[in-house]
Amino acid sequence: MTPLCGIRIADFTVHNAGPFCTHLLSQLGAEVIKIESAMRPDAFRKPHPVYGRMGPATFDQVASTKLSVRINLKKREGTALAKRIVAVSDVAAESFRPGVMDRLGLGYGALKAARRDIVMLSVSSSGQSGPDSHFAGYAPLFGAWGGLGAMTGYADGPPIEIRHVMDHSVGMNAAVALMAALHRRRATGEGSHVDVAAREVASSLVGDLLLLAAAGGEPARIGNAHPRMAPHGVYPAKGEDRWLALAVADDPQWAALARLMGREDLVSDARYASEAARRARIPDLDSIVMAWTRTQEAEAAVLALQAAGIAAHISFTTPEIVADPHLRERGAIVEVAEPDGTPRAAVGVPMRLSKAPEIGIHRGTPELGEDEDHIYGELLGMTREQRRALEDAEVIY
Amino acid sequence: MPHEATEPLAGLKVVANASGVAAAYAARMLATMGANVVLVEPEGGCPLRREPPFLPGEQGADGMSSLFAYLAAGMTSAVVEPEAAAGREALATMLASADVYIDDTPVAARASLGTDETALAAAFPDLVHASVLPFGATGPKAGWKGEDVVVQHAGGEGFLLPNGLALEMFPDRPPLKIAGHFGEMQGGIATALAILSALWARPRCGGQYADVSSQDANLAIGAFAVQRLGDGSIEHRLERSFRYGGVIPCADGHVELLTLEQRQWDGLVELLGRPEWACNPALADGLERSRRGPQINRRIREWAAARKVDEIVDAGQKLGVPLARYKSPAEILADPQECHRGLFQPVPIEGTGEVGMLVSPFHFDGRPLSIRSGPPALAAAETDSV
Repeated sequence: MTPLCGIRIADFTVHNAGPFCTHLLSQLGAEVIKIESAMRPDAFRKPHPVYGRMGPATFDQVASTKLSVRINLKKREGTALAKRIVAVSDVAAESFRPGVMDRLGLGYGALKAARRDIVMLSVSSSGQSGPDSHFAGYAPLFGAWGGLGAMTGYADGPPIEIRHVMDHSVGMNAAVALMAALHRRRATGEGSHVDVAAREVASSLVGDLLLLAAAGGEPARIGNAHPRMAPHGVYPAKGEDRWLALAVADDPQWAALARLMGREDLVSDARYASEAARRARIPDLDSIVMAWTRTQEAEAAVLALQAAGIAAHISFTTPEIVADPHLRERGAIVEVAEPDGTPRAAVGVPMRLSKAPEIGIHRGTPELGEDEDHIYGELLGMTREQRRALEDAEVIY
Repeated sequence: MPHEATEPLAGLKVVANASGVAAAYAARMLATMGANVVLVEPEGGCPLRREPPFLPGEQGADGMSSLFAYLAAGMTSAVVEPEAAAGREALATMLASADVYIDDTPVAARASLGTDETALAAAFPDLVHASVLPFGATGPKAGWKGEDVVVQHAGGEGFLLPNGLALEMFPDRPPLKIAGHFGEMQGGIATALAILSALWARPRCGGQYADVSSQDANLAIGAFAVQRLGDGSIEHRLERSFRYGGVIPCADGHVELLTLEQRQWDGLVELLGRPEWACNPALADGLERSRRGPQINRRIREWAAARKVDEIVDAGQKLGVPLARYKSPAEILADPQECHRGLFQPVPIEGTGEVGMLVSPFHFDGRPLSIRSGPPALAAAETDSV
């Protein structure tokens, strides 16, 4: 049985971070009702020419495994209908700018009136409080505000934009916080308002470096280097734009690497005998490693490195990921079907549970309003006539 | 430090056998939300205690590992040598009263310690047993080793960074990992989610085993690359750069600029002072702007180079232009927003004193969380804290 079977989520989230949170929970068995409107279609329902998609997406990762209903929240009857869904839900999730839900009449107080023990999740760029709470933002801005952007980059280069992984890490964090709030509700009978700030998630991912700075240290960008390990980084393999990542964790691993590279002479070379010595000669060390990796097929080199007890992996391209037997076996990559039946690869839920082998994506992207018979008809008990009247009034729209 | 009984996970008992960041980060997330976490360490201490950089200590000496202090704050320590019979017994005693066991022992070493999936399920049927490893506990790569740089590249995002300015400056350099322990921490976050999900199901089905892989977690948050592959485009760091905007160098630092919507572009034109080139009617079309991205960016960079970050951000925010300063750690520590939110809290750290530590990116009912104690000293003898 899926672990979250029985949990119902009224999902008002938009963009990426919030929808990824509810997407994860839907894969774990929660019933997620995506509340949308033709007035403001979600990004995946529109063309995305920057990425070469000239029409709506046929499959959207973060919308999959969700149910869809239409509600026009600009109408008073629309918010009333939304509250009827909230009244039969355990969770209401949203990711508008702080204040928007209140203005719609769907703030925490209003949702609590609809369901006393509702758990409300709000995901925003800077949190629900504070002088910057009105800031709108995207993933790269979260990374910039939170310090993850400034800490990432080549030592002699600029800071780096953190892309969608930032949004989705916020979503995964939000799923953890939301589950914690549900556990508290189970223990105390009390709902709560969970407030997840994306920029604080970015900061939390460099919390050790922020602590160092608070103690008077000066953390800086170090590229692919590591404060202890050397060699450590990403090295060119044979072929164009082919790379492998490796990390030598201790002296015996260095000796193993030296032998693998056919450089027995380095095993006893005092210049590289200790971690501290190797760290003092990183440019020389990287040249030595590169001289070897450049002559190697990435896949064979990685197998040899792992066999020698050294952490290594190909810098995977997306086609390699989709074809990888390990990821397939783990259900990290799954096959889903397009509406016309064409199979395509998608990313599964990042865990395996011994008593719930069925978790993961079990349905594709819903059509706008696809599940209204179920939600409005069966769940809320509305008649055809009532629904038609709301459609005519552009409330179900 | 105040520690309220109403914290979301108050009463939850967790035992963490964590030698790596992923397992420790999962335990930290639970601890900051109120769980009682015991960190199981070998006699020499958890290896994370030895990871640099170290906090400044007394009289110029190295203090505690900054990474360990951050990860282990709020936990208690118990020294257990699971290879000895007494150690196995001590661990079993702890697990008998625990709700959750988090373990990152290599999978091949578990059976001889009696901590494999089958043995623990038989001995503790209500225990949620969470395994987190770089490549997970099952599958052809289950035995593989992986540090942060490795799991980031195995998960796909490694190949796709950097973008924009850094890539323009250094087109021939190796792709770049995200800073610190980003990849391993994603494994930890996924583990925390697996644990709380399994606990939710426990009244129905008892305890269970969760197998989490940091590679899978990195792939999950990088899922859009797989989605785009299905849409017919292979992502590459060169093509993925924003056509204009991105990281913009200013007179005193860097700003991130991202205008995805028309009204944001209109605001940017205002911010730039409506120069002739930006008012060109052709640029009213988003696709045309995309085609002329490099020229637009050259103009934006010329304009920004003579201005200070705060000046640009303050004026831009008023015009609805998404802009953010690339903040240094010191700037974040002093930021009025983070101070208002109570993001940092003074925590006692042995050898260094009280230091402001990030607690959690979550607020519950308008309040920040708190950390109940500083990072633990290594317990003196076996089972001291049990």
